[in-house]
Amino acid sequence: MIEQQEIEEYNYSVFEGKEDFTGFRTLLQVGSSALDFPATLLETGETVKLSDYWHKQDVVIEFGSHT
Amino acid sequence: MLEPMAREYKPQGFEFLFVYTREAHPGERYGSHRSMEQKLAHAQAFKERGQVERPILVDDLLGTGHKMYGTLPNMTYIIGRSGRVLFRSDWTDPSTIELVLNYLLNVRARRRAGERLAGFYAEFMGYRNVDPVKFQQGLEVAGPQAVEDFARTMQRWTSQGKPPSRLEG
Repeated sequence: MIEQQEIEEYNYSVFEGKEDFTGFRTLLQVGSSALDFPATLLETGETVKLSDYWHKQDVVIEFGSHT
Repeated sequence: MLEPMAREYKPQGFEFLFVYTREAHPGERYGSHRSMEQKLAHAQAFKERGQVERPILVDDLLGTGHKMYGTLPNMTYIIGRSGRVLFRSDWTDPSTIELVLNYLLNVRARRRAGERLAGFYAEFMGYRNVDPVKFQQGLEVAGPQAVEDFARTMQRWTSQGKPPSRLEG
């Protein structure tokens, strides 16, 4: 129930422009250790980690969506 | 679109990834995610429409990874093999990324040549192209609701002075 509420809060259904651009500037600054998380690789459906990639070479990561 | 840059710089030792997040501008055709199946389907549609060749990593429904990195709609990070953040920007701009990649290639070359280099903290103001027509077309892909929601938000930003993401200078 709580998770469903969190899902709906994160995946808002109406864009209101509430993104925190100012807060971004003090988060995970240059020189700090990158944070790892699991994700689904679209091509295969397997679970991968971001660190699987950065352990091999420098990585350029773009975050975004279709919209 | 970073595909041409990815093709050019991958042979020089850079991997390029796309992390698929929540829909920034949900609409009738691409609504807000309520299941992983839906999110994966949207990511697949994005890959096909944009002819994206980079590996696409789909974040979970809670946005766990997205939140760790700042929850903004189109950020870029460069992470080195050391696991350190080498660069980050609150918007994705190809010319800015290219500048940094060339700088990093230069650092590698200088090190190979025997220079002793120490890392230091640096910042600069980025400048990105703004294309309202293309942006509007993107909203229309999502659906009429996305167009209306953005127009309403833009009116509010205008009455307040400027969009919160924009720096003066």
